[in-house]
Amino acid sequence: MISERMYKIICKTLGLEPGEVEIKDETLANQVPGWDSLNHVNVITAIEKDYAVRFKSIEVLKCKNVGDLQKLVDSKTNI
Amino acid sequence: MFNIDFQKIIDLLKFDPSDPLLFGSSLFLVLFFFLLLFYRIFASSKNARILLLLFFSLYFYYKASGIYFLLLIFSATINFGFGKFIFETKSQVVKKVLLIVNVVLNLGLLGYFKYTNFFIEIINDLKLGSFDPIDIFLPLGISFYTFKAMNYVLDIYLEAMEPTKSFRDFSLFVFFFPNILAGPIDRASQFIPQIEEDLAVTKEDIGKALLLIMSGLVKKIIIADYLSLNFVDRVFDSPLRFTGVENLFALYGYGLQIYCDFSGYSDIAIGISLLLGFKLRENFNSPYQATSIADFWRRWHISLSSWLLNYLFRPIQMKFRDLKMFSNIIAILVTFILCGLWHGASWMFLFWGLLHGFYMSVSLFLQKPKRMLYTKLGILNSKFLKVFQVIITFHLLAISWIFFRVKTFAEASDIFNQIYGFFDYQIIPQFIEGYTPTFILIVVGYVLHFLPRSLENKTAEILSKINPMFQAVILAFVIWLAAQIRSAELQPFIYFQF
Repeated sequence: MISERMYKIICKTLGLEPGEVEIKDETLANQVPGWDSLNHVNVITAIEKDYAVRFKSIEVLKCKNVGDLQKLVDSKTNI
Repeated sequence: MFNIDFQKIIDLLKFDPSDPLLFGSSLFLVLFFFLLLFYRIFASSKNARILLLLFFSLYFYYKASGIYFLLLIFSATINFGFGKFIFETKSQVVKKVLLIVNVVLNLGLLGYFKYTNFFIEIINDLKLGSFDPIDIFLPLGISFYTFKAMNYVLDIYLEAMEPTKSFRDFSLFVFFFPNILAGPIDRASQFIPQIEEDLAVTKEDIGKALLLIMSGLVKKIIIADYLSLNFVDRVFDSPLRFTGVENLFALYGYGLQIYCDFSGYSDIAIGISLLLGFKLRENFNSPYQATSIADFWRRWHISLSSWLLNYLFRPIQMKFRDLKMFSNIIAILVTFILCGLWHGASWMFLFWGLLHGFYMSVSLFLQKPKRMLYTKLGILNSKFLKVFQVIITFHLLAISWIFFRVKTFAEASDIFNQIYGFFDYQIIPQFIEGYTPTFILIVVGYVLHFLPRSLENKTAEILSKINPMFQAVILAFVIWLAAQIRSAELQPFIYFQF
């Protein structure tokens, strides 16, 4: 499940009001308004900064949906 | 009674570099008819059906590139092997090494056939040495099937798919004749599972296929070839002999020609694949309706742009992500320079790619100020703004097409000079009078392009409900019409050279 914290980071980066969009595990980046290929870099760096983690490029490239990204964050923060 | 000249038939069926099996040619139509016939007869035997397609595809490629069909077999073999090795290897480091070797092998082959003489030219120009150009045959479609095969290995590396156990299935993915010469660059993860399914061609599929094949023929033969032979080539071959008005219309005409030529090929490829029970990727989505250059690349040659996005742009963007927006700019410039070079080994293609990269980089910087301006003017999200953006984007594209079409910067400069220096509005009526069919074709072509997608779906639906006999009559009529309008021999598709 997508954590409240990650949901907020995504909304803040993309300029969305919390509650404006529903993000589930299987949601794809391009299904979230504003999360296009260019904004992708801002979302990833915002998540890294907020959680104080560093992803390997390949780890991010392997993520197929937001759920995968959440799992990646969890694996780095040992939740 | 029948005096058959077998030698002539053999010559017709043999490899001829100047005579590949073009989709609109009579020989293709005859061979495809027999292929479909046997394909239906073998419908219940998957193995026979796939083998038939495999051999037909190899023959199709042999007819275009002769002995180089062995290159296809080689490509299928190495990529199948690498896919398996990468998947089975546990160590991430070994996986990465295998991937690098695979990419070097694929791009090395592509580079040898396509770019050797370009590198020789660069070495000679920089006076680093003096080499004569080498006579290298360019196997048709090599850029397309190399990228198609590479996608399989890349997706396995990115854990987006598991390798297929069947070399037969993977070979069909690589050899599949409808998309081997000019795409769409299909994805293994979408194509291979379809091979294992039972043959199912619905009425809707047939309706859609007919519409695609007919629209492809109309686009290619009636619009693209006519415009090219009767107007565009004449102007662009000697722009100084024509006025600014003619040069400008040639530019508009070329925009339509290249779209109709390439998307026409894709339409036919997708259409004939549907008749064989395969759904290929969409390759075009009314690209000139784009409201920005970035939007254009989501609509033009989608199978290539998405390939470049996933396997080139994203890795570069992630690598440099600490640079924030500049990571996007670096990734855009590298991706589009290579996109330009993918189209051909020349400075003009490189510049064409660079220009697109430049357009997009500039628009990244202008994004916020533009939004503020549109909000202030109260036109954000308005229809007016959309029309304005479409017109601007179209003209930016038209400028870029000049570099795609010409061989030297001097030629491009001649066209620009004629348009800016020798443009007189009063000549427009004379132009329309002198080139009436061309003018009508350009107008009709663009009007059709801007029709809503729903109309296309509705037409396909109507076609699917028509009696098969009438479907055949309609198709025969379009083929006959195309044959009547065809002013000369069928012209090779522009994208074959890539």
